[in-house]
Amino acid sequence: MSGLPPAIEAERLGRDYGDTRALDALDLVVPQGAVFGLLGPNGAGKTTSMLLLATLLAPTRGVARIFGQDVTRERQAVRRKLGLVFQDNTVDGLLTVSENLLFAARLAGLGGRAARDAVARGIEWAGLGDRAGTPARQLSGGWRRIVDLVRALLHQPDLLILDEPTVGLDPEHRERVWSLLESRRRDHGTTILFSTHYLAEAEPADRVVLLSTGRVVASDSPAALKATIGVEVAEIEGPGAERLAKALCGLGAAQTTGRTERAFRVGLSGERDAVIELAGSAPGIVRFALRPATLEDVYFARTQPAGH
Amino acid sequence: MSTLSAVYGIVARDLTRTTRQTSRLLGGVARPFMWLLLVGTGYNAIARLEGNLSYQAFVYPGIIVMAALFGAMLTAISTVYDREFGMLRLMLASPAGAPAVLAGRALAAALVGFLQGGIVLACAPLVVAVEPRNLMAAAGALSLACLSSSVLGLLVAVRLRSVENFAGVINVVLFPLLFASGALYPTRGMPHLLRLLAQANPVTYQVDLMRHAFGQPAEFSMQLDVLVLVLVTFVVFGFASLLFDTEQRFISRRTAAS
Repeated sequence: MSGLPPAIEAERLGRDYGDTRALDALDLVVPQGAVFGLLGPNGAGKTTSMLLLATLLAPTRGVARIFGQDVTRERQAVRRKLGLVFQDNTVDGLLTVSENLLFAARLAGLGGRAARDAVARGIEWAGLGDRAGTPARQLSGGWRRIVDLVRALLHQPDLLILDEPTVGLDPEHRERVWSLLESRRRDHGTTILFSTHYLAEAEPADRVVLLSTGRVVASDSPAALKATIGVEVAEIEGPGAERLAKALCGLGAAQTTGRTERAFRVGLSGERDAVIELAGSAPGIVRFALRPATLEDVYFARTQPAGH
Repeated sequence: MSTLSAVYGIVARDLTRTTRQTSRLLGGVARPFMWLLLVGTGYNAIARLEGNLSYQAFVYPGIIVMAALFGAMLTAISTVYDREFGMLRLMLASPAGAPAVLAGRALAAALVGFLQGGIVLACAPLVVAVEPRNLMAAAGALSLACLSSSVLGLLVAVRLRSVENFAGVINVVLFPLLFASGALYPTRGMPHLLRLLAQANPVTYQVDLMRHAFGQPAEFSMQLDVLVLVLVTFVVFGFASLLFDTEQRFISRRTAAS
């Protein structure tokens, strides 16, 4: 296992658009077969990172290798190993599902029978049989996304890069997309790198990389990242919220404190009873809730400007 | 092999799309016939042309080129739609890369032009006296006309950023190319400056070659027409490839900010 090159290796990878530094310096190592989540607010550099790793943008600085091959010098070889799902749909509404997939298979370099077989396998795998002859414009957004996913996997890539794969989908189709991805990883050992705004979707990932203003601000397993926040998080709303948050800090129970537009979030470690007692007697509290730490807490803690 | 598959995929997709857009296809064929019937009938009465040709016989090679020009160029320019709706990104991300995408688009556009021009050509015996050998030669001329028109369309498309400019392109590019080509009236009677413009216009050579094929008086030699069109095809394709900024397809304002 140790002799295998990582699926993705990026060192100080960066990209500027004119004077704008979209991605400052991305350091990333994704082992083969892993599922990695790339998280961050809008403008953090997620899409730019993905386009750089997918050979579709040239880096301004740094290097990146996919399975040991350089994304700048060995583009063609890298692309054969890559499956890409873009944030926007890439399904031609005038073609049927089968025709769309056949087009994609040919683009991926599959010819004749190999292309037709790959399409038939993909349709069966994703349960698209009933819709194979349907013009894509008649599909719902969710089914279009499934077609997109099948399209990206037709040539059996070793690495799948997905930019916001579930954005705009209903829960049923989100579930279907993740279930297909899970089966792909289980059955083929495909490495998966994805970005998402639905932070709960990143919980099952092996590792999460948090980007903010073009830089990596955290990188670890979801459990380890959540542990940095605390065992539990107290959400406090109301005019007395700030005072209570400070009191919790004075109690020595607070591991982290943060503030969103609506509430104070205090990461707690131990002393649960004392915290509840203090909150119960605090004035001006509209809502006080204790819950387990989530990736969203990590997101707010690491991406909010200081003092917010 | 992968490049050939990609080119074939792009061509097959474009042809499938064309057959599904019947109104666009019929519109492309109707345009030249409208000129022939509505304008040609009127001009027949007033036009005095070399070799005692009727205006409709004179204009027929020109309207075949018109059908091919619009079909090929508009299909090539529709690359802009693919950019807008994400399909171009899919193509550019393929292992075959940008050269295969451009070659596929050019070939597909040429075939669509050939389909539209071919329908008008097939109707030629109904309007003008032609021998089968004229039709064969015209099919050859049509092939060259379609290839050179498609790369011209590609050249426009590589720099066009939005579909909103599409109508403007028809007025600013397509009509001048057609009107200053000798397709609809002889270039010999044009003012000096306009005639110079016609001589620099690749469509002039498409029409001239088509006139040779129909056995009509032509301005240039057939060899010159073929040479110019072959050169235009390769040079413009090379130029379009140089100007084609693949990254621009990925750097939208939103991408730059995320």
